[in-house]
Amino acid sequence: MGKIESGLKKFGSLLVNVIISAFSLFCLFPVVWMLYSSLKEESEFKRNLLSLPIQLHFENYLTAVKTGKMDTAFVNSVLVSVTAVAVLLFIAFLAGTIFGRYVFKGKTLLYTMFLLGMLIPVHSLLVPVFIELKIFSLNNNRFVLALIYAAFGLPKAIFLMTTYASTIPRELEEAAIIDGGNTHDVFFQIFLPISKPILSTITILSFLDAWNEFPFSLILMGKPELKTLPIALTYFTGQYSVDYTPMMAGLAIATLPVVIVYFIFHKKIMEGMVAGAVKG
Amino acid sequence: MEQSKALVPKRKILFIYMFPSVALFLIFNLIPVVMAIYYSFFNWSGGKTMKFIGITNYIRLLQDGVFGKAIWNNLILAFFCVVFQVGIAFVISSLLCTKMLKCKAFHQFAIFMPVILAPVVVGFLWKIIYNADYGLLNFFLRAIGQEKLIQAWLDNPDIVMKAITIPIVWQWIGMYVVMLVSAMKNISGEIIESAVLDGANGIQRTLYITWPLVLDTVKVSIVLAVSGCMKLFEHIYIITGGGPGNASMVGAMYAYKTSFIKQKFGYGSTISVGIMLTSLTMVMLVNIIFGKGKKRYG
Repeated sequence: MGKIESGLKKFGSLLVNVIISAFSLFCLFPVVWMLYSSLKEESEFKRNLLSLPIQLHFENYLTAVKTGKMDTAFVNSVLVSVTAVAVLLFIAFLAGTIFGRYVFKGKTLLYTMFLLGMLIPVHSLLVPVFIELKIFSLNNNRFVLALIYAAFGLPKAIFLMTTYASTIPRELEEAAIIDGGNTHDVFFQIFLPISKPILSTITILSFLDAWNEFPFSLILMGKPELKTLPIALTYFTGQYSVDYTPMMAGLAIATLPVVIVYFIFHKKIMEGMVAGAVKG
Repeated sequence: MEQSKALVPKRKILFIYMFPSVALFLIFNLIPVVMAIYYSFFNWSGGKTMKFIGITNYIRLLQDGVFGKAIWNNLILAFFCVVFQVGIAFVISSLLCTKMLKCKAFHQFAIFMPVILAPVVVGFLWKIIYNADYGLLNFFLRAIGQEKLIQAWLDNPDIVMKAITIPIVWQWIGMYVVMLVSAMKNISGEIIESAVLDGANGIQRTLYITWPLVLDTVKVSIVLAVSGCMKLFEHIYIITGGGPGNASMVGAMYAYKTSFIKQKFGYGSTISVGIMLTSLTMVMLVNIIFGKGKKRYG
């Protein structure tokens, strides 16, 4: 009986490993396929979709940059994402710390308002935000786009910051006040350094969101020289004959920064996203 | 939270610190919601002439077959996302938590990877996978000798919605896997051990211990999946643009097309309000249904 049982166990364990490995492969493979196909020659790709590149054709990347004006788009994406993250970090740190540590009139109402923001489907804001900016001629403005991304990131960032700030020990704050520090000192010399872990989580998550954002960039950045990477990718279609390998290269250019961030920070990203999602 | 008076900052300082967040949130979230509601009562093409037409847009919305189709597609997607995303994620997470599995960290890394990709990139990637001539899917079917199944996946109105579901499930499933795994890890070892001593096998343990204890997380996952599906836009925009015809139209895509392609901002706003209301209703319904479910189990 022992033999049969241990045999069954071995089979079960093998089965579990095979199933999960197959699933992992299913999740990972399209991305890997995109990356190595971006280095194949077009005819080679069309002959055999799966084969690895015989020679590395980096010129696909040059074609991609030219077709999609991806150099400009890359710079735009960096500018918009970095600005959005910087603004969001600063204001969410202030607001979240207040929510997490102090009691004031209307606090619950205000906090609920921010959290309800997670429920608004952002796409239903496309039309009104477009009109709003058109009135003030503020479309075609990278800084304004960054502010919009910061605004959309607020609910999640404030929630994470509030939760974290409420755990900072009160003694630290008291000590600073006794030493004669004012609110400004307490925030920037005590709370800010202690909040580094959660601020870095917010940085990574909001960077990913801003970098990947598509619809608002699509409707607000009409001028070609202002378009961000996700919009630049749409330049590859529309013609009759699509060259797939330069397109794969374009997708890779937009994806590699995100994948690199993921390689370094995947633990933090998972934790932060789960924490933010569970509340939402 | 109790606090001594000396620690409370002055109201003025609180106000100054809170102001930027509140202002930004008002300008780009709340005011636009109000504006959308306001414009939904007008006939307006973006020019100088704006005509108040009362609830005419809403009457038109209720009779609009394309809007109905779009919302219906959103609901279909939500249903499939709940069943497949959350369902498969539960099975995968249960397996990820067994002692038998090797390289757990790698698997979690791999399964979560699509979550961080741009939806636009995922759209393009799967558009190529579905491509009739140079797509991976037809390539595989040919390789395993199932040539009769080969087709232009995205051109068939009967199949296109099913085809669209797969990239969406593929992209977000890692999110639910990681959420469920972290919930399952919180189940105390003692409970599992005593169940093992009582002779419960793996499947029994999953059904009678893990499932009820992670039910809250499952509920959150379902709310997320439903509200996520109401927000879908990029995948559809890139993969099909809502076509063929309106076969894969969803709410956000229809609002975009009406407003920015046809320049009907008034009616586009009405569609936006319609999406918001549907989305809120769905989330509330899910909450009500699963609130009751929890009592039954708990």
